[in-house]
Amino acid sequence: MDLVPASVAAPSPPARPGAGRRLFPRSPARESSRSLDRDPLRAPETLHPSLWLGHQLGRTGGDAVATGFARLDAELPGGGWPRRALSELLLPHAGVGEIRLLAPALIAAQRAGRLVMFFDPPAALATTALAGLGFDVEDLLVIHTRARIVAGSDSLWALEQALKSGHVGAVVAWLPPRLRADRLRRLQLAAHQHDGPAFVMREAAVAGRPTASPLRLALQPGGADRLQVRVLKRRGPPLEAPLSLELPTVLSAAARRRAGPASERAAALHAATFVDLA
Amino acid sequence: MLWVALHFPLLSLESFAATLLAAGASEAGGEPAIALVDEHRISAANAAAQAQGVKPGLKKATALALAPRLTLGQADPARDAEAMLPLAHAALAFTPQVSLQPACEPGAAADTVLLEVQASLRYFGGIDRLLQRVQQAIAPLGHAVRIATAATAQGAAVLARVAPPPRCLNLASTRQALAAAPVWLLGPGREHWEALQGMGLRQVGDLLGLPRAGLARRFGETLLAEIDAAFGRRPDPREAIVPPRLFESRLELFARADSTEQVLHGAAILLARLVAWLAAQHAFVRRFRLLMHHETRWQQGDRTPQATSLEIALAEPSRDREHLLVLLRERLAQLQLPAPTLEIAIQAEDIVKRAAPNSELFPTRQSENEGLTRLIERLQARLGADRVQRLAAVADHRPERASRGQRADASGRPAQASPRGGAGARVTDSRAAPASASATTTSCLSHPVWLHPVAEPLAERRSRPLLDGRPLSLLSGPERIEAGWWDGELAERDYFIAEAADGALVWIYRARLPLSAAGESNGWFLHGRFG
Repeated sequence: MDLVPASVAAPSPPARPGAGRRLFPRSPARESSRSLDRDPLRAPETLHPSLWLGHQLGRTGGDAVATGFARLDAELPGGGWPRRALSELLLPHAGVGEIRLLAPALIAAQRAGRLVMFFDPPAALATTALAGLGFDVEDLLVIHTRARIVAGSDSLWALEQALKSGHVGAVVAWLPPRLRADRLRRLQLAAHQHDGPAFVMREAAVAGRPTASPLRLALQPGGADRLQVRVLKRRGPPLEAPLSLELPTVLSAAARRRAGPASERAAALHAATFVDLA
Repeated sequence: MLWVALHFPLLSLESFAATLLAAGASEAGGEPAIALVDEHRISAANAAAQAQGVKPGLKKATALALAPRLTLGQADPARDAEAMLPLAHAALAFTPQVSLQPACEPGAAADTVLLEVQASLRYFGGIDRLLQRVQQAIAPLGHAVRIATAATAQGAAVLARVAPPPRCLNLASTRQALAAAPVWLLGPGREHWEALQGMGLRQVGDLLGLPRAGLARRFGETLLAEIDAAFGRRPDPREAIVPPRLFESRLELFARADSTEQVLHGAAILLARLVAWLAAQHAFVRRFRLLMHHETRWQQGDRTPQATSLEIALAEPSRDREHLLVLLRERLAQLQLPAPTLEIAIQAEDIVKRAAPNSELFPTRQSENEGLTRLIERLQARLGADRVQRLAAVADHRPERASRGQRADASGRPAQASPRGGAGARVTDSRAAPASASATTTSCLSHPVWLHPVAEPLAERRSRPLLDGRPLSLLSGPERIEAGWWDGELAERDYFIAEAADGALVWIYRARLPLSAAGESNGWFLHGRFG
């Protein structure tokens, strides 16, 4: 913690720069730079780590988990995925590159010796691909909840238990569609006790509705091996342009040349040629 | 020698109330009024009943006139003995010298536990701290208690009935307190109470000055023997109780329980007894069984079982009542009772003896593992054990068979929880690792994370596959996977990575040879998505 200068602590009108100079002579340069940087009226955000101005990115006291993508880190408050809070990701459908986006943060949690839990993944997970991304498949728990009469009551219960226990390293949950806002707020409250990132995946249609989670991103495939990330909500100014992230590549260099915009792409493979050869 | 006597003055009433609460009789509006009846007279009443004017000694009809909603029960020595045992077990956590003081009246159950604690004083930090711990230990069992200490066992048992019970730490003060105790507290003195009162003998001290021979002739040897034992003039050996090897405690419900919620109420009481039994042996339970005996129906062809048994197995042995109760609640919530329950019982035999865990101020790796184990157990209890899965790699080239969801064996992570389990996990790991490595030698990421459980047939237009009505462009391939001739599920497929219209990558295949395998029809199939 930085020490707040003595002049700051006084509630009376801000001390003139150089007050008390006669008693404690200091170098003028140091004095002026201190009073300029740390003047609580000009920079109130120096008072407390949770204070920030509307045009600044919010800070979380350096507690965030690096995403592994430098461009995304630069746009997220605290420089990464928040701990003790939900991060909401909106997907048009499964398989846009979401696992590759989250992999660095989840693997970091596993490396720290903690468990990663997946709740209700939308399809079967392939161990070979997960191991290829760097996951320790042994330290990955997959929880399938059942559809009850009240849709999602079990899945929300299970997720809340995991968040509340505070012993899970990272949580990724695919939430049931059309979730009520108060349910999500309840999860967000439970996430306060969860020391690690918590990701909830939701359908893209909820983008216009308010959310209790402090961070909301919309993911869109942005071409082969690229992911378009729009920051819909964050502690900070809105971000106009979507980010285009380079994901760990699936395709070979030759194959990537075939991808891309239709105008400049090389001719796509014609399967018939290969199949006929066989 | 320092003896502690735990006297439970309302044991019969409380053991009756336990059966009652289990039946869900707790209407809104506080504690129900309960009283015990003995030959048409009230013998004991709880606070709620006494507030309405019901007092011991009243006629039953009078009591019912005063409190129409009064629940009346009868004392049952067998039920009292069942409730007494866990109290003695709880005391065993403090000293091995625990015995039950036999009841004064024949046929009644004992209601006093005696502990010899001289040797335990130093460990528990003095008599005050020890008594505090004893009270904490018996609190979950829910009985009102009066505690007295004395230098003799008999003296402690007598003094525990005095109100308020004195604390005497040496023989002199014990004798002094005993001399002032009313004479009817002595067991054999009770039947001669009127005669003694007529002779002006009210306190035990009054008897001491009388000639022993005459006293023995009038009131019997037993009275003298008891006075001598209480005053420490005669040896008073006590046999220490030993907890049974198998735990079984049962609770007969006053009214039949129709819902599992009502059963849970009674099970909570039995769990407290189980925890006391475990604490007495410094043990932790690994599995226990809840038995629910059902009402017998005499209908023809009724196939209702006599009893429902619910087996609770724990990943990590525990004796935390709250945790056991949570597990039981989740399991009971899923259970549909075939018939109303009349009696419940808990049995346990699978226990582990080990040192109590250290309590930690700050979270550590061990406490985190323990918390994880509990979390997984809780999830398994509600969702079912098979719904919490750990992924395992299988040496198979067919993608749909290369991974398998295994039931997670609740202890947080196998590699670290127990050394033996860890070794086993490592072995399977090392076996699986080369297989997965060989399967992905070409490129680690060339296989998708998401696999459709059943490959989805794709429409085709001019020999190009369509996804959602829009053509896919093939980017990479083919990767041929041909395996499974040995188990009759032959897969001969050419896999391609294709780009969907929105830019997402999908994994599609077509059969290597048209109409090659019987199960696989011609055409394109969507098998996975690159997440």
